Amino acid sequence: MLLPVTDSKIVARRAEIVAALEAIVPGGVVSDKSGLSTFDSDALSAYHQMPLVCVLPADRYQVSEVLKYAAAEGIPIVPRGAGTSLSGGALPREDGILIGMGRMKRIVEIDYENGCVVVEPGVTNLNITKAVEAQGFYYAPDPSSQIACTIGGNVAENSGGLHCLKYGLTTNNLLGVTLVLPGGEIVTLGGKCGAQGGLDLLGLVTGSEGLLGVVVEVVVKILRKAPVTRTLMASFDTVQEAGTCVAAIIADGVVPAAMEFMDGRAAEAIESYNQPGYPRGAEAILIIDADGVEADVSYAVSRIVEIVAQSGGKSVEATDEKQRARIWSGRKAAFAAMGRLAPDMICMDGTIPRHALPQVLEEMEKLSQQYGLGFCNVFHAGDGNLHPLIIFDVMKEGEFERAEAFGADILRLCVKVGGVLSGEHGVGIEKRDLMTEMFSEADLDQQHRVKCAFDSQGLFNPGKVFPTLSACVEQGHIHVHGAQLPHPHLPRY
Amino acid sequence: MAAISTEAGIVDFVRAARADKSPFEIVAGGTRRAVGRPLDGLPQLDVSGLSGILKYEPEELILTAAPSTPLAEIVSVLATKNQRLGFDPADWSQLLGSNGVTTLAGAVSCDASGSGRLRHGGARDSLLGFHGVNGLGASFRAGGKVVKNVTGFDLPKLVCGAHGTLVVLTELTFRVFPRPTHFAVLALHDVSPDVGFAALRKIAQSALEPAGLSYLPGNMAPAQGQGSAFIRLEGASQPLEEKIALAHGLLGNAVTRFGEADPFPTIGNGEKFARIDGDIWRVMIAPSDAPRVARELNATHWLGDLTGSLLWLAAPSSDGPRIRKIAAGANGQAMLLRADAQTRAQFGLYAPQPPALAALGRSVKAAFDPLSLFNPGRL
Repeated sequence: MLLPVTDSKIVARRAEIVAALEAIVPGGVVSDKSGLSTFDSDALSAYHQMPLVCVLPADRYQVSEVLKYAAAEGIPIVPRGAGTSLSGGALPREDGILIGMGRMKRIVEIDYENGCVVVEPGVTNLNITKAVEAQGFYYAPDPSSQIACTIGGNVAENSGGLHCLKYGLTTNNLLGVTLVLPGGEIVTLGGKCGAQGGLDLLGLVTGSEGLLGVVVEVVVKILRKAPVTRTLMASFDTVQEAGTCVAAIIADGVVPAAMEFMDGRAAEAIESYNQPGYPRGAEAILIIDADGVEADVSYAVSRIVEIVAQSGGKSVEATDEKQRARIWSGRKAAFAAMGRLAPDMICMDGTIPRHALPQVLEEMEKLSQQYGLGFCNVFHAGDGNLHPLIIFDVMKEGEFERAEAFGADILRLCVKVGGVLSGEHGVGIEKRDLMTEMFSEADLDQQHRVKCAFDSQGLFNPGKVFPTLSACVEQGHIHVHGAQLPHPHLPRY
Repeated sequence: MAAISTEAGIVDFVRAARADKSPFEIVAGGTRRAVGRPLDGLPQLDVSGLSGILKYEPEELILTAAPSTPLAEIVSVLATKNQRLGFDPADWSQLLGSNGVTTLAGAVSCDASGSGRLRHGGARDSLLGFHGVNGLGASFRAGGKVVKNVTGFDLPKLVCGAHGTLVVLTELTFRVFPRPTHFAVLALHDVSPDVGFAALRKIAQSALEPAGLSYLPGNMAPAQGQGSAFIRLEGASQPLEEKIALAHGLLGNAVTRFGEADPFPTIGNGEKFARIDGDIWRVMIAPSDAPRVARELNATHWLGDLTGSLLWLAAPSSDGPRIRKIAAGANGQAMLLRADAQTRAQFGLYAPQPPALAALGRSVKAAFDPLSLFNPGRL
């Protein structure tokens, strides 16, 4: 992946730019080398780039002034939340201002009557739930990095999680955002009334990966926590049986809160790693959550148990909260477990139609042999979101390059069977050059025209999402070395 | 009028219109032409021939259809697999006194959702992808055909509620939802708006996952008294009994099983106002403001849907500025749904937006349709 060409004229003006930003955000500018190195990467840690300067505004007006200044001077802007993006969305530019939203982390208002919370963008996903859980509420989207990732970043990436099938992505759980446009204007899209009085720009901005503006306030919906959650684990002798089971559950009208698939290799590695009690020898394992009121859940569980049996699988139910946690602990340790098999790993993220799973797994097997690299699969089976994990050793000549090529071929395969390049990690810099696999020139041209409607100077997060002519190497991955993720304290699933 | 039933034909038509700088109205079933600023006198592009379900995969929860497919056809095909569209498309034909066939793209473009929007959101929450032709005469696609996708900008959101001002749609892909086998309507009769809306909010804040929460004042409700709050619950048979018991637990025994016909379709379709004179407005506000805003609006005929976040009312045309002011005062939006052409021309569909937002909206419109060929001014 080629990084954008640096404008050396901007770099030469660095001292002047730092001084101007310090005048706008006194005490909120990071310009020393050691300070800046904190920001030189996000969770796509294969790529590093020191920013020109990092500014940490304290309120929306400072954001607006920074953006006005950048627009007037023609300086690129890269927005950043907590830097947990897996697709390089917050990768800095050598000639760009990194605008970090971490200081804006107030919970502005909790409104139970209207089922919503108003927050600044730097509030973490989990802290929204923590603020309301004593009253029995929670915020539904639950990306695996939720302990660290911020709601502003969630809006930018349209973050998902394990429970999307039932509760939707970020975009389905927002009522409004306040956004500072590239020219510095502040606009509010939606709000507690849930209406915008014109085009659905809220929907457009959500998932726009920092290309359209900087989010400075968010109104999220909160939900009443389901009174009952039950967890089943089902094991199968073949992948086909597991696939049939997933399709049959969906066709039956049951909407599980979560439905996770692991292939035999992943299950084996996980069982060796933290012994969650996965049956040895199974070719596929499903973990299924049903939640809701007692009787709804009983009905769903009885249907699921029957369908698992009809599909040729064996199911067991967690008998208590401790066992539920144990079953899930395995799934959530998948990345770390794979790290024991080889020193390095990359994680892909694509979505396929569920019925294509057996075909995709078969073709991935062939690719694995072709590239001479091992892999396993974890899969949000309910919504078809595949996370293949490719293992390799970066110290061995050519393995890193082969792993990247293998990964790109997997994403091409996802598109070929009718799926998409990214289910939840975003395009960023990681999948930028694969966009042409999924979209035609006309498709991309229309998206680019929308980009220009917001950012006519092209200053916002340039080099991300849209493929550039100069790029020549495709790849897509999270790079993990020595089982150490970029944010090792974060679970990744 | 040109009737065109292929995407290639639409591309040619748009390119010709672009060369002539000749705007036009996009028409399919024709049931919603009287919504928004009138486009009288413009030539029409009739796309009603772009009809039919193209692919339906029940086990994938995916339906792809041509834009002018009749909603009735989609609803009945989905019902054979116990599924439904998530956005509870509303049919405004009775309200608007229009004849014709209500189509999928018409409901999407007008963001027409009924009371069931409460459960799975609007069209924007389940439209996964589309094909269409932009104002440059280029055919393109956006989004995808799988239920989870974050690849590229979410343009499908934009076409929902755009009233045909961005794209001539040629194909739509939706996520569909299971259709619960059972439902029950509960009612709390003879309650004031304050008490009724408070009851609805209590249910909205519960884990009951309601599919309809409306309040009808006495003169709009089937039962007499101050007014009635209606609650729609869904599920399989046995779980439903438990949900009803839980609702009793939250609201007391005054809430009863409603024995008459399900009131929600007539509420969601605006049919309650079909035979009432005056302009019909939809005022969107935060749910807890409903009783206060309803008092301020002071309409003879009104009702509250979606927990109170949507107030429907009938009013004389002279009330337009007052209604808009009240909505703005509540940080809400007032949409003029039914009125004569002159009033619609005067008030538009929505109030003018703040300057920066209005300018942004114009830029986005221009990104799709720079010469403003499609339904100009309707939104």
